[in-house]
Amino acid sequence: MASIEFVNVTKEFEKKDIIKDLNLTIKDGTFTVLVGPSGCGKTTLLRMIAGIGPQSSGAVLINGDDVTAVAPGKRGVAMVFQNYAIYPTMSVRENIEFGLKNNKVKKEERNQLVESISAAVGLTDYLDRKPSTLSGGQRQRVALARAMVKEPSVFLMDEPLSNLDAKLRAQMRLDLIELHKKLGTTFVYVTHDQVEAMSMADTIVLMNNGLIQQEAAPEEIYHEPNNLFVAQFIGTPPMNIGELGVDGVKFGFRPESAQTSDTPVDEYLSMEGEIATREMLGSETLYQMKYKDSAFMLKSNYAFYKVNQKIHIGVPEDKIYLFDSEGTRIRKDHERYSSYLEVLRGY
Amino acid sequence: MKKHNVWLSVDFLLKAAILFAFIFPFLWMISTSLQTFQETLSVPPTLIPSSPQWINFVEAMTSGPFATYAKNSIIITLSIIIIQFLVMIPAAYAFAKYEFFGKNVLFALVLIAFMMPGQVTFIPIYLMMADWGLIKTLIPQILPFMSNAFGIFLLRQYFMQIPEEIIEAARLDNASEFKIMWKIMTPMAKPALATIALFSFVSHWNDYFWPLVMTDSNEVRPLTLGIAMLKQSEGISNWHIIMAGNVVLVIPILIVYLLCSKQIVKAFVYSGIK
Ligand SMILES: Nc1ncnc2c1ncn2[C@@H]1O[C@H](COP(=O)(O)OP(=O)(O)OP(=O)(O)O)[C@@H](O)[C@H]1O
Ligand SMILES: [Mg+2]
Repeated sequence: MASIEFVNVTKEFEKKDIIKDLNLTIKDGTFTVLVGPSGCGKTTLLRMIAGIGPQSSGAVLINGDDVTAVAPGKRGVAMVFQNYAIYPTMSVRENIEFGLKNNKVKKEERNQLVESISAAVGLTDYLDRKPSTLSGGQRQRVALARAMVKEPSVFLMDEPLSNLDAKLRAQMRLDLIELHKKLGTTFVYVTHDQVEAMSMADTIVLMNNGLIQQEAAPEEIYHEPNNLFVAQFIGTPPMNIGELGVDGVKFGFRPESAQTSDTPVDEYLSMEGEIATREMLGSETLYQMKYKDSAFMLKSNYAFYKVNQKIHIGVPEDKIYLFDSEGTRIRKDHERYSSYLEVLRGY
Repeated sequence: MKKHNVWLSVDFLLKAAILFAFIFPFLWMISTSLQTFQETLSVPPTLIPSSPQWINFVEAMTSGPFATYAKNSIIITLSIIIIQFLVMIPAAYAFAKYEFFGKNVLFALVLIAFMMPGQVTFIPIYLMMADWGLIKTLIPQILPFMSNAFGIFLLRQYFMQIPEEIIEAARLDNASEFKIMWKIMTPMAKPALATIALFSFVSHWNDYFWPLVMTDSNEVRPLTLGIAMLKQSEGISNWHIIMAGNVVLVIPILIVYLLCSKQIVKAFVYSGIK
C-alpha cells in the first residue's frame, strides 16, 4: 500500500528538459494509467518512481517520504519492463526467486511463493525452462510473476502487453484488472494504447511532451477533455475538429455524436456533405464526410450509405466542444461561450 | 557443367593444400615422437615409424625434473587465468556500464597496454623482480600478467550489448552491484570469457620468451623451457624425445580448445534476448 507524489519534478537528458516542473499525486491503491504519444516521458516517469533514473530536481515521495536517497531495491516497488528484462541465463524459477533470495527469504517460504505465483500466472510447467525457450506471452508472464512475488506496495508496468497478440492482450487485460482488485496495491501502468487506458484505469494521466495534459477518470477524460490535445488523443477515431472562423476558435464533436440521415436533421449543428469513404467495422460503420474544405468522421449504425452520396448530419448542442486558439477548452461558464456557439447555428 | 566441376576441384585442391600446410608440421611432430633415434636421422626422412616407440614419452617425462616443470606450467597458467578473471570482470563492467570521472582516459590507457609488446617491458620488470628478490619464485611469471588488456576490451564490448534494463531489474530485485556482476553479467558473458580464457591459456602455456628471461633455476621453470632443455642433455639432438615432450605440451591446449570451442563460436554471434 502506498501513495506516490511528484513535487516540482524536473528530468533532464543531455541538458534538455524532458519533464519540467511536474506535480502529480497517485493515490494509494489506485490503478493509474499513464498514456501519451511515443517519447512523451512515460517511461522516464516510471523510472523515477523506481529510482533507476532519478530526477534532476524536485522530489518523489512514496507514502509521504522523500525516497530520493532510497535505493531501488528498498522502495517496495516492482517493475515490469517494456522489454521484460528477464535474466536470460537463469531458469524461470530462478528469475522469479532472485528478488526473494536477495531479500533473504527462507527457502521453504520461497518455494511456496514461487509455486503459488507461477500457478496464478500459468507458468507451473515452465519453471525449469530457460527464457530463450519461451514464447513472448510466456516471457511476459515471467516478468509479471517476478514482480508479483515480491509483494510490492507499488506495481510499475511499462507497456507490458505491447508484444502480445490481440486475443492474449484482451485476456491479460482482464487478468491485470482482477489482479489489481485482489492485491489492492497501487498500480502505475504505462501504455500508448488508449483502449487499454480506458478499460483498465481508475485514473488516466495523459501526457504530451513531458507535461500532464489532463488527469481524470476515463469517463471524464472522454467526455470533458481539458484541451484539444486530449480531445484528439482519446477516442477512435478521434474527435472531429473544425474552424469556427472567429478568433481562431475551433469546435469539435465526436464521430458517434452525429446523427445521420438522408433528409435534413433538426439539431443545433446541421450540415449537408458528401460521403468520401466507407469502412465497415462490424456492428458500426465509419464514414468520412466531405464538407466544404474539411472532412469529418462519422460512426453510424446504418451501414448502407454509399460513397459520393449526399447526406445530412446533426449534432446536439451538448455534444459540441469549443476550444480557443491555444487549444484550451472553452467551457459553458466562459463569457463568450454562447456567442461562439451561436456562430455554429448557420455553419 | 564441366567448367563448374573444374572449379570445384581447384577449390578443393586449394583448400586441401592450405590445410596440409597447417597440419603437416603437427603430423611431423607426432610421427617423429614415435620414431627410433635411427629413424629420425635417416635420409630420406621417415614419415611413418616402423613400430611406434611409446617409450619415447616415458623417456621425455622421466628425463630431468619433468614433474616440476609440468607443475610450474599448471600453476602459472591457472593462476594467471584466475587472477585475470578477477581483475577483468569488474574492470570491464565498470567501463561498460558506469559513468565516472576519467573513464575515457583510463580506457585509453588500457588500450595502450594492449598494444605494448612484452619485449619493451621485460628489462624493467626483470630488474624490479630481482630487486624484490622474487626471481626464485613463480611470481615474476604471474604478476606481470595480472590484467589482460585484450580481455578487458573484448569483455567490455560484450557487456555493452547487455540491455541496461536487465541490470536495473536486478537493482529493483535488491541485488548488490557485486551480485549483479557475478550472477547476472558474468554468466551472460560466458562465450566471451571462454574465448579470453583460451587465448590466455595458449599464450601463457606456450610462452618461452618470458620464462626464459625471468628464471635462473629449474625449480621455477615451466614445461616449454624444460622441453627445450631436453636437447642439451646429450651431445646430439634427440629429436624423437623432444617431439614426444612437445606432444605432451600440446595435448592440454587441445583439451582446453575442445572445452571452449562451443562457447567461442557463440561469442561472435551474440544477440541478447529481446
Ligand atoms: N537515457 C536517455 N538519454 C537521452 N534521452 C533520453 C534518455 N531516455 C529517454 N530520453 C528521451 O526522453 C524522452 C522521453 O522518453 P521516454 O522513454 O520516457 O518516452 P516514452 O513516453 O516511454 O515513449 P514510448 O511510448 O516510445 O516508450 C524521449 O524524447 C527520449 O528520447
Ligand atoms: Mg517507454
